[in-house]
Amino acid sequence: MASASVIEISGLSKTYGSGSKQTAALRNLNLNVQQGEIFGYLGPNGAGKTTTIRMLLDLIRPSSGSASIFGMDIRDHSVEIHRRIGFLPGELSLWEGRTGQQIIHYVASVRGDTKDITKQAEELAQRLQLDTSKRVRDLSSGNKRKLGLVLAMMHSPELLVLDEPTNGLDPLVQQTFHEMMDEYRDKGKTVFLSSHILSEVQAICDRAGILRDGDLKAVESIEKLMNVEFHWVDVQFRDAVPERLARQLELSNDISDLNINGSRVKMRLVGDFDPLLRMLSEGYVKDLRVEEPSLEDIFLAYYSDGREAR
Amino acid sequence: MSGIVFANTLRTSWKQVLYWGLGLGLLGFYIGFIASSSDIIQGYADLLASMPPALLQAFGASSVEVLRSSEGWIVSVFVSEAAIFLSVFAVMAGMNITANDEQSGVMDVIMSLPISRSSYLLERWIGYAAIGLGILLVCAAITMFSLVLFGVDAQMDLVFISILNLYPGALLVMTVTCLLALVARRRAHAIGLSAAFVVASYVFNLVGGAASGAIADLMQGLSFFSYTKGEQIVLGNYDPANALLLLLVVLAGIALSVRMFISRDIGV
Repeated sequence: MASASVIEISGLSKTYGSGSKQTAALRNLNLNVQQGEIFGYLGPNGAGKTTTIRMLLDLIRPSSGSASIFGMDIRDHSVEIHRRIGFLPGELSLWEGRTGQQIIHYVASVRGDTKDITKQAEELAQRLQLDTSKRVRDLSSGNKRKLGLVLAMMHSPELLVLDEPTNGLDPLVQQTFHEMMDEYRDKGKTVFLSSHILSEVQAICDRAGILRDGDLKAVESIEKLMNVEFHWVDVQFRDAVPERLARQLELSNDISDLNINGSRVKMRLVGDFDPLLRMLSEGYVKDLRVEEPSLEDIFLAYYSDGREAR
Repeated sequence: MSGIVFANTLRTSWKQVLYWGLGLGLLGFYIGFIASSSDIIQGYADLLASMPPALLQAFGASSVEVLRSSEGWIVSVFVSEAAIFLSVFAVMAGMNITANDEQSGVMDVIMSLPISRSSYLLERWIGYAAIGLGILLVCAAITMFSLVLFGVDAQMDLVFISILNLYPGALLVMTVTCLLALVARRRAHAIGLSAAFVVASYVFNLVGGAASGAIADLMQGLSFFSYTKGEQIVLGNYDPANALLLLLVVLAGIALSVRMFISRDIGV
């Protein structure tokens, strides 16, 4: 049985300015997010991710098109919708002079159930190792982000809307966050998260949409996106690159954009690392660096074989 | 409206009642001390009597006779100055209703909560209106205490009503500032426009009161200061319709502000 759509977006567009200064931040977005899935909204900075999210939250109004959450129009039923969702803005601002506890209590009271929500907030804060007794102005950017996560999740919303949620979080807390997302999925709840970090989306999302310059280029399952995954590999040998190895690298189907310069080799690797590592054993490897492809690389790879956005 | 935003506004801003109330109250205390000397009051009145009527206006009175009574002197000198100070508070309060939270980005968090924009704005407005009233009450209490302490022979009720009569004007400035902030979107622009509104009102009242004729009457009519003159209360010719008129304009301003806040993008 197909899951119900939690988010339904139809022809959503947003333009800023007027006349010759008019710029389109988002064009004709059509997207459905199903219940129980973690949907990644990928795109470089300025692609239109935050604009989409702010429209879904009814913070800004669409120039055209419509969207609904839980089957309710985002404009007509914003209060009912907000009761059932949790939101973490990309650039989180909170009352600087107030403590985490005070903010939690205020937000909980607006949500109408102070006791249970506050208890849940305490548990979340403990899990994220956040001291809520400190004033916001005394918190680091990472700890502010944790407080934002607590505020978004403390009422166990049916839908979480997170804009760049792991920005500023240390790796250990990122791991905790990933576990929390898995638990959310297991409870049948839905998460819509934006990111410009491919590995993060790969780690926690079921599906992802790729946005560029205000256009949704593709909506794919993570498995399909991973098919176009590749890495940039940079190898530094102690001595000059052995000729036999150079030939092997040139002949390999998994390697492209090969650049051999004295004792250094740069290449683009598709697929597993094992065949490459066996080849590299021809020489003495002094240093080896692997870089994730940028979103731009993924876009180029994705469209180079003629696939279209779905 | 749940009242939670209202309560939170009071909880986070109640100190303003204390600071502003004490500040204005100390001015009232000082004025009460001076008013205890009838020689000073009469000397002051004599001095102003020798000056052109326009200068009398600048000191907040339209006739020297008003200044010769203790309550007339207190109301003309203190209340007219308090009106200006209270306008500063009103501009700050008007900015606090939505503009400051919007500029800082906190509004994104607030508006993602289950509260309508209209409820939020109204509760914030009522919260700051209550704080404004608290300031006036603290100020009035300190001023009255001063009059009792220094044995000033003044009609207390007239002084008290004159101070409370500043309230509609303060509400107007607060509402206009809130509306201007919603229209202008930039904090600095809104503060500049609101300050211009207060200064223009003051100048219109001053110039309009000093001159005579249709243009002068129009200038006074356009100034909110001219609708809250305590001097009229002392003279016993105060028309409550003046305050009602200001409150009607305030209501219209709130309705416009709500409409503007509902229809526009936040934080853009």
